[in-house]
Amino acid sequence: MTLLQVEGLGKSYESETQVLKNVNFEVKTGEFVSIIGPSGAGKSTLLRCINRMVEINEGRVLFNNLDVGTLKKKELRKLRTDIGMVFQHYNLVPRLTVIENVLHGRFGYKTTMQGILGRFTEEEKEHAFFLLQKLGIEDHAYKRCDQLSGGQQQRVGICRALIQDPKLILCDEPIASLDPNSSKVIMDHLKSITTEMGITCLVNLHQVEVAQDYSDRIIGLKQGEIVFDGMGRLLREEQINHIYGTELRELITV
Amino acid sequence: METTETIKTIDTAYIKRTKNGRINIRSGNKIDLVIKWTIFMLTVLSIMAFFFFDYTGLQLVRAITETAYNLRVMFLEPTLNHFSWGEAFHQIGITVGLGVLATIIGGIIALFLSFMAAENLSKPWISKTVRVVVAFIRAVPTVLWVLIFAIAAGLGSEAAILGMLFHSIAYLVKAFSEAFEEVDPGILEAMRATGSNWWHIVTHGVLPSTFTYLLSWTFLRFEINFGVAVAMGAAAGAGGIGFELFMASGFYFDLREVGFITYAILIIAIVLEVISTRLKDRFFPSSVSN
Repeated sequence: MTLLQVEGLGKSYESETQVLKNVNFEVKTGEFVSIIGPSGAGKSTLLRCINRMVEINEGRVLFNNLDVGTLKKKELRKLRTDIGMVFQHYNLVPRLTVIENVLHGRFGYKTTMQGILGRFTEEEKEHAFFLLQKLGIEDHAYKRCDQLSGGQQQRVGICRALIQDPKLILCDEPIASLDPNSSKVIMDHLKSITTEMGITCLVNLHQVEVAQDYSDRIIGLKQGEIVFDGMGRLLREEQINHIYGTELRELITV
Repeated sequence: METTETIKTIDTAYIKRTKNGRINIRSGNKIDLVIKWTIFMLTVLSIMAFFFFDYTGLQLVRAITETAYNLRVMFLEPTLNHFSWGEAFHQIGITVGLGVLATIIGGIIALFLSFMAAENLSKPWISKTVRVVVAFIRAVPTVLWVLIFAIAAGLGSEAAILGMLFHSIAYLVKAFSEAFEEVDPGILEAMRATGSNWWHIVTHGVLPSTFTYLLSWTFLRFEINFGVAVAMGAAAGAGGIGFELFMASGFYFDLREVGFITYAILIIAIVLEVISTRLKDRFFPSSVSN
């Protein structure tokens, strides 16, 4: 079943530079897709067009048969509850505890008043602890987020995305600020989210080899255009060279 | 030899030199020149001013000794003559009350206005409008606002509080909104991406991140308001210790009482400062160690 359809997507911030040009692809439910490409290729913009954190200029994005570009404010909030997001810099509220940050993921389901007063049901709190346990950080639940290491903070970020009960998780370079060890932990968790929970993952990555190891499919982006779309093992060295514009052996790959 | 020559010719295009041929390491813009001339002119004007003062009747030695005597009487022999200790506490209470009232009401109103003034939480035109209005209010001194409100409310504590409130709001809106703008845009983005609405983001993302700043700005404004409340007691008849100070100095010429009141104000200011830092460290530490 097709979960996400991107048709002729185009985006430009100022009229001069076109960040995305005629991007077309589909993602099926339960797929783990990586997007690779050099800095400035438009990876982050592409992800943010999907949950409309940036406005779409041309083309359409269909998520679950909803046209993302035409949604009204309320419908957009509803759409965003279905799409979790994980960030490079985790983007947690540093002065709040881990459990509070995780529960932020439920705001999409709350009315204004419920949200302001922080009214969460016992089931939601139990589910939050279940997810923390699943990612192995339940013993830090009452610590403030600024006391955690990068890898731990990223796991909190993943919990916050998961508690939304999403159909799709967008990851914007989730391991770019982490050491190799934490990176592996995070990638393993993301992979298990797809295989165990059946949640589709769309991941922006810098590391080609990580993308090849983990993903069902790789999309190569260069200057806002898709230059590769297929299974990771089909990605040949000359195609990588084409995406990054240099020889593979000149790249530092982790 | 030839290569060094070429390097020299290329480099000299970027090098700025002073008149005597030395290489200049300042950027050599107009600002330096303007500063130099300003300082020079101010020096000349200051020296000239001394020649135009009216020195008739000045007895320098007598003036200095008598000032020293007055200061000694004021600060080394403070006593209460025209009112009791109980009365003194009561008057100080009134002054502190004026400050507290203006700060608390001002803080609450300023909080909501600053959401409108912060560029990352509001629409550009709303934020600009609030900023301009607030800048205008801030440009007029507190005392003037009190006198303006005195037209409607009459001289007294009502006008004093309204005037102090007005200026407090303007001051705190600027401080608060700038604190809000410092919040990591990533936090706002992450919360927006979960489907949170504006109120959720403000109450659970922005406020927890900036609470200590808001608190310290409010305490700072409280200290200012306490000082202003003392002045308002004298200038606008708002009562409190400021009015007693005015009476002691301008009406009874009682230097000892002026000294006593000054000490009382000083002690209250120190106590308020200690309380505010204690409160902040205790309840809102910027980092926790466990």
